Amino acid sequence: MNNVPDNKDFTMTTSGREGIRGWLNPTRYGWERVSYWLQRLTGLGLLIYFIGHVYETSSLTNGINAWNSMLQLTQTLGGHLFLLFVIGASTFHTVNGIRLIFTESGKGLGKPGRPDYPYHAASLNYKQKSGIWVAILLACIAMLYGGMVLFGQGG
Amino acid sequence: MGVNFNMASLRLRESQIMKIHYLTGIVSLFAVAIHILFRLIMPFGQSLLYQNVISNYHNIFYALLLESILVLISIHGFNGLRIILIELKQSSRWESTITILVLISMIGIIAYGTRTIVIASGL
Repeated sequence: MNNVPDNKDFTMTTSGREGIRGWLNPTRYGWERVSYWLQRLTGLGLLIYFIGHVYETSSLTNGINAWNSMLQLTQTLGGHLFLLFVIGASTFHTVNGIRLIFTESGKGLGKPGRPDYPYHAASLNYKQKSGIWVAILLACIAMLYGGMVLFGQGG
Repeated sequence: MGVNFNMASLRLRESQIMKIHYLTGIVSLFAVAIHILFRLIMPFGQSLLYQNVISNYHNIFYALLLESILVLISIHGFNGLRIILIELKQSSRWESTITILVLISMIGIIAYGTRTIVIASGL
């Protein structure tokens, strides 16, 4: 895996900064990069949901009719599918966030060693990758359970 | 101790802010888990009935739980947004502007959510 940008990347941008395009580019840095932007995208999505949820629940203060009409907006197929996304996003964000806390405290990074060809970084090891896969797997399981609750009897 | 205080502002080091970020994330995980359990102790649709939700708010412990979720997630979420925006561009003016805007938004959301909790508790 080549972590050094090639010359083409430097000639394309004068300052060396790629902005949001570089931030979203998952192609050069493997699963750690995918995890990086999934953490941020799910975080942004959850913040938007949180603000919407605070606004949605404020309809309680306007009485039963306001609450019921707000519920009608959310108790639909689209509303339930959106909630499924929220369940998956929150599960991934949580599990991957716990992995990042361990990583920042130095757990699971491996021992530093002499940089020999082909220059595999000790920190990008199977523990980190399996943490990402566990986060994705648990998000899928949570969405499955959420789907059973939302679309099952009484949902 | 670890907080650098001067007359003009109270500044936290980025490492201290990250500790707050992680702590609010972990604590809100448990708080949100209890919040979700309240929706799952009965059929989901039934748990959202007006009278049922209002009775939840009348429980002082649940109201306090909601308030803590509101504060914890506001701090965690808006600090996360600040981190993302500061990663995209770096200058002291940009960072100050983002920090102030994020703080205002955070206080606004906490105030609006607290208003709902206080009014719904008294309904």
